[in-house]
Amino acid sequence: MIRLSKYRPSRQMGLVVTFCLAALAMVYLSYALPRLLPGDFVTAMYGSSQVTLSEAQEAELRAYYTDDRGFGSYVIQLACLDWGYSYAFLSPVSHLFLAALPWTLLLVGLAHLISLGVGFFAGVEVAWRRSGILERTMVSGMTLLEGVPEISTGVLLLLIFSLHLGWFPSAGAETAYADLSIWARLAGVAYHLVLPLATLVLAYLPGNFLLTRNSMVMVIKARYMTTARAKGLPPCRIRYAHGARNALLPLVTRFGLRLAFMITGALVVERIYAYPGLGTLLFNAIQARDLPVIQGVVLISSLMVLAVILALEFVYKIIDPRIDHARTF
Amino acid sequence: MHVRFKETSLKDPLFMVGSGLAVIFVAISLLGPLLAPFDPWDMSFAPISPPSETHYLGVNDGGQDIFSELLYAVRNTVLFGFISAFAALGIGVILGASAGWFGGFVDMIVMRIADVLLAVPAIMILIFAAALFRPTPLTLALILAGFMWPTISKGIRAQTLSLRESLHIRAAVQMGGGGVYIVRRHLIPEMFPLYLIGLAAKAKTAMFMEASLGFLGLLDPSRKSLGRMINYALNFYYMDVWWNWLMPPILCLSFLIVSVTFLAISLEKVLDPRLRAALSGRTP
Repeated sequence: MIRLSKYRPSRQMGLVVTFCLAALAMVYLSYALPRLLPGDFVTAMYGSSQVTLSEAQEAELRAYYTDDRGFGSYVIQLACLDWGYSYAFLSPVSHLFLAALPWTLLLVGLAHLISLGVGFFAGVEVAWRRSGILERTMVSGMTLLEGVPEISTGVLLLLIFSLHLGWFPSAGAETAYADLSIWARLAGVAYHLVLPLATLVLAYLPGNFLLTRNSMVMVIKARYMTTARAKGLPPCRIRYAHGARNALLPLVTRFGLRLAFMITGALVVERIYAYPGLGTLLFNAIQARDLPVIQGVVLISSLMVLAVILALEFVYKIIDPRIDHARTF
Repeated sequence: MHVRFKETSLKDPLFMVGSGLAVIFVAISLLGPLLAPFDPWDMSFAPISPPSETHYLGVNDGGQDIFSELLYAVRNTVLFGFISAFAALGIGVILGASAGWFGGFVDMIVMRIADVLLAVPAIMILIFAAALFRPTPLTLALILAGFMWPTISKGIRAQTLSLRESLHIRAAVQMGGGGVYIVRRHLIPEMFPLYLIGLAAKAKTAMFMEASLGFLGLLDPSRKSLGRMINYALNFYYMDVWWNWLMPPILCLSFLIVSVTFLAISLEKVLDPRLRAALSGRTP
């Protein structure tokens, strides 16, 4: 670089600092809120659950939540994966969490990848072929789907494909207690994944499709598209290298904005199909009023979402170098 | 902002369907207790009986009339959605307009907080709060509103930035109007049409959240909720009761959310002509 720009704190650095502060605030809340509760909440909490605690276990829980070593040691405990012990599942919270995490990542990650890919591709193609019957049906269909919540699609798919047709299993993530070869096991995982994955894709797809299509329709009218056409470039290159790249930006930006709210749907879908991910773990913990598990899952998964959204901020910059200057907020 | 409501919205099928459904649901929520044939908490009927002339949708496992339950559940969900959306709108409009108008430090602080709140999964905080404190639905609705205002305030802020330069605002400044006066008397009333989009979009999120919280078993068990009904009915899905017990709350929830989604999309089209051209499926 010949011209050295004067140093200014970039938006990204500011965001990193803000997000770190937010993460710290959340850890603090998770530390302080249980201690704020009036009275003996351990008895109150477990009084209404199916779990019966022995004297020693109750004392240990109480000690865990009234531990006065301060916030610093709590943070260190968190960092060392010491997230408490679950008396409902008789296992350390970190084991439960780490056992459930891969399933959730598989389900939610795959659902996002598929719906981003398919939504983007379909959006670009439909915008390119304007004013046909295909476009009309696609847009109306997707608008309708956009309004149907995951609870409904999930239960409907379960009723139709699992209960009535019997094509897919209704619960679990793999065939239990079966001694299978690695390929048979993978096939079983994929087989169990179909329905929950389809539910999530149906929930995420419409937003991606409509957004891509709407921005692509506007991109098509831009002058550089006419230029690209005038240069005699092949249509596919015009569409993707020149057009779709610009339609991709709002998709990625909006993804970051929607991610935190989309977690809700994943929780619900896991519960519907009893998929052994974090959502089901959280659901079971709520049923058993098992505070350490609820606390651990809530805190760690929120921190993970925070980290993903922060990472996305850097992805925008790579996809669109203008964004650092153009974004006003 | 000027909106030709008659020419645009009333011709839009999305708007018609959305508002039609919304009217039905608002009517159900207002008239629910009058329409319900039984007390939904009355557990004196024969459990899991099929639909009959007295019980239109049958009786659930606890011996409660499902139709009456459904009416109360719709009412609760709609109310939760409205309260949460209105609160989010109020916070979002005031903060967004102030951030846009005053700029500088206020702007930076508000927008940074907004960035962070957008990144925190609201459902997790709600679950934590609900599991620890068992708050009332009203409190939960307000906590949720605390996470929903950022998108509204970003939109309002952007609009404020463009309104700043308009002639009538400049005239108001010339005549000595102070910042608070201009925000309160000019900016906030001026952007009214935007609020409708925000309200519909946030009502959608809030109703979905309420159903999910109920579904996960975090709301008061005695409170009727669509999510809770679905959760209970799902335990019996293998029995022959799914069509009269499981389907009604699912359909109600879907139609409810479809209705606000349609309203939000069609209002967005009205206010953004570029989007209207894109969405109508015709090249202008």
